[in-house]
Amino acid sequence: MAARVLILSSILTFSCFAEICYGAVSFSSLERTLVVTASHRQGLLIAGEDKITVAWGLNQSFPAGTDSTYRTIKVQLCYAPISQVDRAWRKTEDHLSKDKTCQFKIVEKPYSNTNETLEWTIERDVPTATFFVRAYALDQHNNKVAYGQNTDTKKTTNLFDIQAITGRHASLDIASVCFSAFSVVSLIGFFFAEKRKGGKGQQ
Amino acid sequence: MEISSNGAETQPKFALPVDSEHKATEFRLFSAAAPHMRAFHLSWVSFFACFVSTFAAPPLLPIIRDNLNLTATDIGNAGIASVSGAVFARLAMGTACDLFGPRLASASLILLTAPVVFFTSIASSPVSFLLVRFFTGFSLATFVSTQFWMSSMFSAPVVGTANGVAGGWGNLGGGATQLIMPLVFGLIRDIGAVKFTAWRIAFFIPALFQTLSAFAVLMFGQDLPDGNYKRLQKSGDKQKDKFSRVFYHGITNYRGWILALTYGYCFGVELTIDNIIAEYFYDRFNLKLHTAGIIAASFGLANIISRPGGGILSDVMGKRFGMRGRLWTLWTVQTLGGVFCIILGQVDSLSASVAVMIIFSIFVQAACGLTFGVVPFVSRRSLGVISGMTGGGGNVGAVVTQLIFFKGSKYSKETGITLMGVMIICCSLPLLLIYFPQWGGMFCGPSSAKTATEEDYYMSEWSSDEKDKGLHEASLKFADNSRRERGRSVHSQTLPSNATPPANA
Repeated sequence: MAARVLILSSILTFSCFAEICYGAVSFSSLERTLVVTASHRQGLLIAGEDKITVAWGLNQSFPAGTDSTYRTIKVQLCYAPISQVDRAWRKTEDHLSKDKTCQFKIVEKPYSNTNETLEWTIERDVPTATFFVRAYALDQHNNKVAYGQNTDTKKTTNLFDIQAITGRHASLDIASVCFSAFSVVSLIGFFFAEKRKGGKGQQ
Repeated sequence: MEISSNGAETQPKFALPVDSEHKATEFRLFSAAAPHMRAFHLSWVSFFACFVSTFAAPPLLPIIRDNLNLTATDIGNAGIASVSGAVFARLAMGTACDLFGPRLASASLILLTAPVVFFTSIASSPVSFLLVRFFTGFSLATFVSTQFWMSSMFSAPVVGTANGVAGGWGNLGGGATQLIMPLVFGLIRDIGAVKFTAWRIAFFIPALFQTLSAFAVLMFGQDLPDGNYKRLQKSGDKQKDKFSRVFYHGITNYRGWILALTYGYCFGVELTIDNIIAEYFYDRFNLKLHTAGIIAASFGLANIISRPGGGILSDVMGKRFGMRGRLWTLWTVQTLGGVFCIILGQVDSLSASVAVMIIFSIFVQAACGLTFGVVPFVSRRSLGVISGMTGGGGNVGAVVTQLIFFKGSKYSKETGITLMGVMIICCSLPLLLIYFPQWGGMFCGPSSAKTATEEDYYMSEWSSDEKDKGLHEASLKFADNSRRERGRSVHSQTLPSNATPPANA
């Protein structure tokens, strides 16, 4: 127990260096009070081109006043389980400060009591993977207090695939080939020059 | 074949004091005088460039793994591939140095692997990523040419230092790259490139650096104090040796195999850490890419003093206690490295991890320097092959360690590090078995048999036919120069090393 407290306090202290504010909360303690939907065109979505329309709002079946502590809403793009296999850097952990499920921010804005929508163009640094959308409600201290997601608890429905950009350009390809050829040709050139000099030796 | 006499006719030729083989007996770091110190600077810079290229990918892995859709298994495999190519490349390089000279051998390898670094920019899948890392890793064979070149240019009193500084400052590349690549990547991204393009452009920097360093070696370097191999072979000053004989005498020397194994657990461990440490800190302590890179870099950057320190320590112990001192120091330092590795895997906090990692790096890298204080004495005829075996063994250690502990998701990285520490301690034990008849081993003194002299040891590599042809002359000179490895108390009873060679030469 003492070790856990030590770990926790170390993480909290060093989180200041990482400039991310961690709340000491676990995901399972959050209530699913938000309703989130995400719609998009059919088929494989292309990063940098396609858009996702995200809509979120408070689930009206909860009593009024549930959202009294909500100050900010943070909507994120999260990895589906299939994209987390053999990739420990995307692992889902119950402890929120260690959780790596959601790594891309769609939008973060002040919370309002109405249903909101946003059309988001998928950014070009999103990798090829399967995703879902999750929204967190944050209180005034930026601690997560509630959430909602467009998929079920087991994260099996309403998932969508995104295809990343390759990052390659024709100019890069050409430059690589040219420089490579240059190194090999210059090596051959050196050998010829040495042979020409005949055993005079190089200084 | 002339034997140069001590005196004015040879001294003015070189900027540094030299022995009978024209090897420098002093090591002056801030000089660039040809041929000795110039060779030193050329070799460490070109080796540094190769290290930068080989380990350019790890600090950028958090970006690359998303761009190329890599799994932990893919990353592990690529890491293993990056160090496995050099296993045989190092052995081949050792032989090439013996036969063609370190200048041509190293420059050729560097210019042939530079294209692969350029092609890293075009990688688009886990398979292509693995292939570029595999072929780039071949360039680490320049380590052997570096050590060979230093052993050819510097004499026994300073060979450990020269080898240690050249090797250490080259290995520095593995640390410097963890700083350079995130910096270059950040710069390119800030200029406006997208993340997945910025890392690709960044790879042009190590590739260009590598190419330019090879040019410098070709233009300004020289194989031996007296000239290049081709010219010396033509004039008859250097005999061209037979590959089969050189290779045979190298691989049949059991000391070469023991050193290959133990080097796998100092240098191999260093390579493994270069591959995993940035990701370890990034993932375990939730740091930014840049911060993880700085911490990871400090491991490799310790090389600036730790490996040279090991080399200097080897020379100091060799001066006082002879070869036995060198062996004892090597075993002690390497075992302590293992102890600190175990501790590194156990600590939980960021600051403790960084502190332990730095201490661990100093011991592990000093052990590398200490190893190459012993290697030059194992064989004279097959110096290249022994250097290649030891160097190759270093990479085998890296391959084996990454295969067992750092592939896929079987062990957490922390556990892998601890177990690696245990393996270091176990695999350092064979050092106890190394024995030189003329100098002794860790537990036994030198043999009192009449045939246990330095000359007997080094002449055993030549057949009587070859001796009749006079092919063994260089080895004889070396044997005489190596007499200091008996240690100070014994040495003072024998001839002082600056005397003319014994009459039977």
